[in-house]
Amino acid sequence: MSSFSPQALRRWQRFKSIKRGYYSAIAISILIVLSLLAELWINNRALMVKYEGAYYFPTYGDILPGETFDLDYKWETNYRALKRQFKSEPNSENWVLMPLIPFSPNENDFIEGEYPPYEPSLASGHYLGTDMSGRDIFARIIYGFRIAIVFSIFLLSVTYIIGIAVGAAMGYFGGAFDLFFQRIIEILSNVPILYIIMIVASIITPNFWTLALLLAGFSWMGMTWYMRTETYRENAREYVQAARALGAGHSRIMFLHILPNSISILVTFFPFSVVGGITALTSLDYLGFGLPPPTPSWGELLQQGTTNLEFQWIWASAVGALSVVLTLVTFVGEAIREAFDPKKYTFYE
Amino acid sequence: MTSQPILEVTDLTKHFPVSGSALFKNKSVLKAVDGVSLKVYPGETLGIVGESGCGKSTLAKTIARLYEPSSGKIVFKGQDIGALNSKALRAIRPKIQYVFQDPYESLNPRHTVSAILEEPFVIHTQLSANERAEKVCELLTKVGLPTNCLNKYPHEFSGGQRQRIGIARAIALNPDLVICDEPVSALDVSVQSQIVNLLLALQKEMGLALLFIAHDLSVVKHISDRVSVMYLGKIVETSEGQALYKQPHHPYSQFLIDAIPKPDPRQSKKRMRLTGELPSPIAPPAGCHFHTRCPLAQKKCKEEQPKLVNQSSNDHLAACHFIEESLNQWDKIWASSKENAR
Ligand code: SF4
Repeated sequence: MSSFSPQALRRWQRFKSIKRGYYSAIAISILIVLSLLAELWINNRALMVKYEGAYYFPTYGDILPGETFDLDYKWETNYRALKRQFKSEPNSENWVLMPLIPFSPNENDFIEGEYPPYEPSLASGHYLGTDMSGRDIFARIIYGFRIAIVFSIFLLSVTYIIGIAVGAAMGYFGGAFDLFFQRIIEILSNVPILYIIMIVASIITPNFWTLALLLAGFSWMGMTWYMRTETYRENAREYVQAARALGAGHSRIMFLHILPNSISILVTFFPFSVVGGITALTSLDYLGFGLPPPTPSWGELLQQGTTNLEFQWIWASAVGALSVVLTLVTFVGEAIREAFDPKKYTFYE
Repeated sequence: MTSQPILEVTDLTKHFPVSGSALFKNKSVLKAVDGVSLKVYPGETLGIVGESGCGKSTLAKTIARLYEPSSGKIVFKGQDIGALNSKALRAIRPKIQYVFQDPYESLNPRHTVSAILEEPFVIHTQLSANERAEKVCELLTKVGLPTNCLNKYPHEFSGGQRQRIGIARAIALNPDLVICDEPVSALDVSVQSQIVNLLLALQKEMGLALLFIAHDLSVVKHISDRVSVMYLGKIVETSEGQALYKQPHHPYSQFLIDAIPKPDPRQSKKRMRLTGELPSPIAPPAGCHFHTRCPLAQKKCKEEQPKLVNQSSNDHLAACHFIEESLNQWDKIWASSKENAR
């Protein structure tokens, strides 16, 4: 029922009026959408193939073996070669429509007679060049961005859910429960997360989910303090007492009265948590304790770049992408914070 | 009063721990309510008056079991609600309702009027959504609000209107007792009497008993059948309303009555002045709590705590060692005020 309170509307208006953050939000949204649709514009599979009167859409779904197009191999069709082949056939009806960037992030594109990395060139189609094993950097950056952003949004959802639940319960029930969790949180906060991950990574190879859950298990504590205080404060307010005087039960008070009034401000933390998530994943990948190769990753790219400084395009691409994205998200975060509390952060005016 | 009291409070105390410094845990307690006994009869209004900080709000909230009582009994309709577990308590809550002081604080800012007024029915009845909506409209009419404001949020209303919403919520489930915790003191003077009149009308219509808390006697004067005066966590005087105004027994009550603004400007001169601050309830004065400010205080007052006892035949209770002297003092003032009026 409380879909858009006037306060929310006012905050939205204020957010929109802060141009830097607003446009950053638009830009980052476009980037996310583009990265989620990356298969459609960065791919070594064709968007569309017309062959002998039939149409094929190889982008999603199972691989189409070369035999489909009467080639002499059973593995996945090389569409770039197919395209060249069709082009060379005079007045052929067949054609291949390749995506904008016809490379896959995990694909090694070797040029005969040369060793990778290949430098950026318009002719080869590697606009940002390739990395040390001939994989297109632009493709790896976009796919890496997708993984990083999905990773950090998943990570922050888990940390927020745990943090909100524990923090709210601490603030609401107080007493021994509160004290117990305070100590748990203090212990967890002092665990050096990097060592834990190094130990775990030496036992199992972490995948996307295990890594995210592992990180979440050690980073939900920050939210609890905030939620604890907030719940404590709301709980003492008279509208909550009024609900209690009516005979409302704990869950009703918690979910209908306290949480809706304390949770909205969490939005202000959101962008900063995203930044935190991306940074965490990138640094873990950089150190080699992150997602297993050949997952496209900024950290891994950065690592290649710093060990091979002479190929400037590698590190420059990674650093550039990282700075652009982190800056955009930070601008959004600042604007949201300002929109929520114009008195506290007025340096824009 | 011949009938059984609907609410009988006996020796109720509410202490809050006040933690000392972190190093030396010399915990002291704040005795916000310190041995209060009172009775409320069906359909009557008991006014409770005292300066801010005297514990009257705490008393109200403890009776409503919004605070846990530290000791003492709260018997409501024959049932000791001070000892109920939370489930049994929830069942009895609809019968004791609460109107809060600040209507800006007591309505959830994120709920619409209809959500706020539906809540009692959602919690305690099995009514369908349509039936609930009907009930809500009835309630709005009862408290004099238009029924087209269902989807508005509290902040779209004035203070007086909000308090009407708060009252509507309190009477939704036909309570027997409504505790009004300074329901008008946060409002504009112009709307105060409207709200008080609304409460009186509802009381008549629904047979409510009211426990009406106020910080000055003038508000309570018009509406209370009986009045209790509170000072530092204790009740110092309880009597039938008119009797209290005519002849206050306790020196503190005399100050309060004297402080009521008079309509006649010739009488407006204050004859009595309360000196000193309200002492801290963490370390209340020994003996009679009022002795630090009482013009009649003597040695006995500092040593012995006076009991709240009946001073006359018709249930006029007061807690003072020197009732005689106190009444003499009042008579002098009363005489002088009559002279002034002439
Ligand atoms: S007991 Fe003594 S100090 Fe207390 S009110 Fe009576 S006269 Fe004053």
